Amino acid sequence: MAAKKTISTLKRARIISQTLFLVLFFFLLAKTEYHGTDIIAYPVKIFLELDPLILITTFLASHKVAVGLFWSLIFVVLTLVLGRVFCGWFCPFGALHDFVGSLKKWKKKAKPETRLDTIGVKVKYYILAAILIAAVFQIHLVGILDPIALTIRSFAVGISPAINYLIHGVFDLLYRTDIGAITAVSEPAYEWLRNNLISFGKPTFQQGSFIGLLFLGLLALNFVRRRFWCRYLCPAGALLALLSRFSFLNHKIANEACNDCKICIATCSGGARPYPEEEWRGSECVLCMSCHSSCPTQAVSYVFGKPEPSQRRTDLKRRYVFQAGGAGIASLALIRLNPVRETGNAQLVRPPGSVEEQEFLKRCIKCGECMKVCITNGLHPTFLQAGFEGIWSPVLIPRIGYCEFNCTLCGQVCPTDAIEHLDLEAKLKRKIGLAFFDQNRCLPYAFGINCIVCEEHCPTSPKAIVFEHKTVVTEEGEMEIKLPLVVPDVCIGCGICEYVCPVGEKAAIRVSSVGEDRSDTNRILL
Amino acid sequence: MKRRHFLKTFSAGVIGARFASPSDLFAAAKEGSTVLSIVTGEDAAAAASKAVDALGGMSGFVAKGDVVIVKPNIGWDRIPEQAATTNPQVVAELVRLALDAGAKKVKVFDNTCNTARRCYKKSGIPDAATAAGADVFFVDERKYKDVDIGGEALTTWPVYKDALEADKIINVPIAKHHTLSRVTLAMKNLMGLIGGARNRIHQKLDTSVVDLAAYFKPSLTVLDASRVLMANGPQGGNLADVKQMNTIAASTDQVAIDAFGATLFDLTADDLRFVREAYERGLGEKDLTKVKLIEQSLS
Repeated sequence: MAAKKTISTLKRARIISQTLFLVLFFFLLAKTEYHGTDIIAYPVKIFLELDPLILITTFLASHKVAVGLFWSLIFVVLTLVLGRVFCGWFCPFGALHDFVGSLKKWKKKAKPETRLDTIGVKVKYYILAAILIAAVFQIHLVGILDPIALTIRSFAVGISPAINYLIHGVFDLLYRTDIGAITAVSEPAYEWLRNNLISFGKPTFQQGSFIGLLFLGLLALNFVRRRFWCRYLCPAGALLALLSRFSFLNHKIANEACNDCKICIATCSGGARPYPEEEWRGSECVLCMSCHSSCPTQAVSYVFGKPEPSQRRTDLKRRYVFQAGGAGIASLALIRLNPVRETGNAQLVRPPGSVEEQEFLKRCIKCGECMKVCITNGLHPTFLQAGFEGIWSPVLIPRIGYCEFNCTLCGQVCPTDAIEHLDLEAKLKRKIGLAFFDQNRCLPYAFGINCIVCEEHCPTSPKAIVFEHKTVVTEEGEMEIKLPLVVPDVCIGCGICEYVCPVGEKAAIRVSSVGEDRSDTNRILL
Repeated sequence: MKRRHFLKTFSAGVIGARFASPSDLFAAAKEGSTVLSIVTGEDAAAAASKAVDALGGMSGFVAKGDVVIVKPNIGWDRIPEQAATTNPQVVAELVRLALDAGAKKVKVFDNTCNTARRCYKKSGIPDAATAAGADVFFVDERKYKDVDIGGEALTTWPVYKDALEADKIINVPIAKHHTLSRVTLAMKNLMGLIGGARNRIHQKLDTSVVDLAAYFKPSLTVLDASRVLMANGPQGGNLADVKQMNTIAASTDQVAIDAFGATLFDLTADDLRFVREAYERGLGEKDLTKVKLIEQSLS
């Protein structure tokens, strides 16, 4: 049976919607960067604020919800009325899956379900159960697998930097040709791109390759099954599937028109088995409209009516849900086995405005927006410094990039108030750590050579680095040198001193988290 | 020599100069001795313009068709009132004068200490300079070229391409306190034209600064002392550290400019090692008694 060449209006509408939201997503992602204003009006967190899973888990884990997250109630209502429009029409990750899936030429013939389909379809519910149960116990793991957080993070620290790297490389190559006719065009284009679309510099992130490859790997799974991720793994999809069970929009196949070709099964991107009726898994339908579009006899329609839960519900088996929950609880204990929870971690310098560490972990969804927006490329995803629950949460690495004194962007883009938005006045005073001299490496101390680049850059007023004058005897005779000292009360831990320290690899002045304002225990002074 | 003493000594010359006609002044400038033009007045742009006029006008420094760099200090993420960056009105005025003198193109840029985008925006310089007709851009790491500076501390060092190719460089520093070199004035401002590991330069800061002065030899130096950062330099942040001095100094002699700049901080030229070294290396005059001074006031 040959498939129709044209696509139906509904499917076209879905593709247009996906494309628009994907473009919007990339536009906002590009706007989540300093563009000359101290306030970013439209950061990409808007997408996270429309994600009901983030709302629920953040509420469960931290009992506090950033106001913006209530926007996601729009999709709760939409899902209750229409079904999983979030997945099929809105989700940028879903759109990318559809795009990658479309690269493979799929057979137009329905295949029977395999074990992957029947078991896989349940996995996402178990993942959801584990995430929700963990959240009840105030362990916030949603960001690892939430599709929006995952997509933003992957682009922020992996994919975008890689694309940037390539674009910068191309223009670099054009520049090096040194042919006037080429550079006359390429250089203005490059400047425009740097100022508007790509990153201004060439940010690179710890674990960027790993997170980027993970993302590409998930997209590559589309060659195994269309929307592999959405069918089997996505916890947000699972949540919306549960909500969609009673939606008013029903999938209908007119039996008299149907010629039993089963192409709808082959083209279904959610693995919902549209035909026959007793195999239909309504909750797996992402409203992609492929069945509607591919049906040669136009037998498929979507009609509003009394909610008709599909005949075939995904049988989760209470036993397995409990097992998943049990596994979740058992792993909670393991996750909590982290001595650093109590003692503080010297390397864990959090962005300014970050709430107290335990509360921070309950709020942060590891979306990476703060890392994307950080103007100095100073914020990076952690690995296990903050324990497993803190994986991919932001940490300042001053050797790579310092906290810019007059910048408040990370707090502005944080969707869950893990980093609170400080006004500039509060930000200027916020201590995120304390700088320590390593006198064995510091030039004036170790070698009697004047330096004090750290003092020059120290942004506080008065400066947090002062000196002691000392006369040293060198081969050239007596010399007065300035020995720098940190004033612990004044130092805010921004790390510019560590960043600019001329001592290679390990700087001679380093910031650690002790003394941070947000902690009552990680202190140093009386 | 303290500033008050210096001014007293030269008051006779000042009075003479104030009533001199521009053509006389031009003649004086041509005599070969170092001329230092100082203008006080609230309108910093007008003061800059007048200070350059006293040296014979911009056409004495910029020829028709020249590509000119006007090099301000845009090093820090501070507003002009905080006096860590050059007064944007002064920069814009010099751009205008250079274009009026027939410059083909005037370029304005700096290699900043804080993030470039923030520094540029906050300084107000790109807006003002662009409006005056300048080409303002961020430095681009690809455009540094390793060149032999031939200095005592700095030998081979990356220099910005545009600085290598420019016909004329007009240095427009701001006068600021600096802990290591005591003050930062004209010669140190040239650090914005180079790249590389500038944080290692501090180890031989004075000599390096003189190396840069010897290498770049700006055609004209205009010191912005409209607002002067007296403490917590070079980036300040506290308005209490800023002193309104309403002064602009211009000269072709960068050593003389820095010697004069020292007096703004109640220091003498000999208090500044880089000025002493520059003088010893024959880059200019540090003894202000040997300088032909033209002091004017806007009012």
